[in-house]
Amino acid sequence: MNDLCRTYRTHVGIVRRRRTDVQALGGISFEVGRGELFGLLGPNGAGKTTTIKILTTLLLPSSGSARVLGFDPAREAGEVRRRVGHVFGGDRGLYDRLSALDNLRYFADLYRVPVREKRARIESLLELVGLKGRERERVETYSRGMRQRLHIARGLLHDPEVLFLDEPTIGLDPVGAREVRETIGGLRDQGKTILLTTHYMYEADELCQRLAVIAGGVFVATGTPAELKARVLDRTVIEIEAFGVSEAVLERLRALPGVISVSTEQRDQAEVVLVQSSVGSELTHALLRELEGTTLGKVIAREPTLEDAYVELVQTA
Amino acid sequence: MIRAFVSGMRIHVVQFSRNPFDLSGVFLWPILYASIAYYLLDAKNDPRLLLAASLGAAVMLMWSLVVIGSSNALENQRWLGTLELLVAAPVPFAVVIAPICVASGFVGGYGIAATLAWGRLIYHVPLSIDHPVAFAVALPACILAIGMLGLVMASTFVLYRAALSLGIALQYPVWIATGLLVPLSTLPAFVRWIGWFLGPYWGFRAIRESALGSAPWPDIGMCIAVSAAYFVVGTLCLRVFVRVARARGSLKLT
Repeated sequence: MNDLCRTYRTHVGIVRRRRTDVQALGGISFEVGRGELFGLLGPNGAGKTTTIKILTTLLLPSSGSARVLGFDPAREAGEVRRRVGHVFGGDRGLYDRLSALDNLRYFADLYRVPVREKRARIESLLELVGLKGRERERVETYSRGMRQRLHIARGLLHDPEVLFLDEPTIGLDPVGAREVRETIGGLRDQGKTILLTTHYMYEADELCQRLAVIAGGVFVATGTPAELKARVLDRTVIEIEAFGVSEAVLERLRALPGVISVSTEQRDQAEVVLVQSSVGSELTHALLRELEGTTLGKVIAREPTLEDAYVELVQTA
Repeated sequence: MIRAFVSGMRIHVVQFSRNPFDLSGVFLWPILYASIAYYLLDAKNDPRLLLAASLGAAVMLMWSLVVIGSSNALENQRWLGTLELLVAAPVPFAVVIAPICVASGFVGGYGIAATLAWGRLIYHVPLSIDHPVAFAVALPACILAIGMLGLVMASTFVLYRAALSLGIALQYPVWIATGLLVPLSTLPAFVRWIGWFLGPYWGFRAIRESALGSAPWPDIGMCIAVSAAYFVVGTLCLRVFVRVARARGSLKLT
């Protein structure tokens, strides 16, 4: 991909229509090698799905160019479609009132799977995604995890050289997500070229050989998971469970000497303040002093993770 | 491509048959249309006029089933999230969409048979067909002509999200312009011109002429000709409109 941009146009109003342009991709460039599992990491609205849709021929870029296996997805859509598989995350994209078998048969015909191979291919994919024995049940009776695995089977029907996985574990319970990750890991080990989008750090860390962090439609960092983590290895992270911390208090924390960044996240009932500081700076007492009057829970000091690197990258983007 | 077409038809008929609400409509509508034919024209004493009215009502039902069936099916693809997958399939998009329209056409073919059967059963509408062979050819020709007009309509449904609303809105204008609702002789001349470009007009003429008239084959020929023209126009429109939808990014919108 070379300097790829995509802008969406929306209109507001009925009589006096006003046009608004929203930039989803602001010029991204990257390459993925054959047999590589490349991850696109980013928050909602960062441009991950837009990137995948351009590469799978579903969207035209506003400017810039892309090549998939040497073909231009904008102009040579047919060539690209024959060679790539596309798997969405979420509940949609299947015929609910039909069985998994009917869904796979239909898409096998649409994706030109040779008649002689169709049956065996479907059988082996059902085996691969763990749906063997349940294939004659209607999809509407499936759990979300089963649907997701059926999506993967559908995406693999025509044995694509490149597989695009768009948030494949979104909304799954931990067991279902682990099963899907195992399936993806198996595909990586078979040598498939995979572009995976996710906003789960541990997923990217576990599966991807290289990553790009995308925020606001531009890449803010690329590298292996270890390289991204190394960006924050000179730091310590202090997690403080707190309730009702105001923005003014957070500003005071940010102003403390040695503090690199301060963010908050919601975990179940508690709000957690995450403070990144330079290794060696003893900040716990100063932080607690600033938080006096606030109801506090656990306070933990730990080494940074890929998630901390990601939060840092996205916040400073 | 033939395999994708046949598979598409099968899948959409099965998908349609598993919705009890849609199915009940298909069973009830023919009774309603047979009743309209019987009471609206008040042709109880003229068996041939009664049969003509029943055939007209049957073609009206067929058009409704095709236009609503295909628009509903297209809108469903958006709601199910399958429209993007269908567009991303390597087979031409017309081969994906045409089976939806032709499958709706076959349901419409059943609609014709059911309307005539209920008319016979409840209102004793005579079913004397003058040219049985021509009638047997006219029926699939009519299905094809209406199904392919559905394909042209379907191309716009790809572009617009409210496909079903558009489909419903298209029912009456086509009924009127093809002379199914009121005789064309009572309408301004330009409406007749519009009718000549519409499949249901030639489909109805082919069926009526084979049942009651003297020369059904020219109308059957016109059904096939307009079907071929619709297929070409529909395929081109689909190609253009899919590209517009890809440029706008509107394929996944519901």
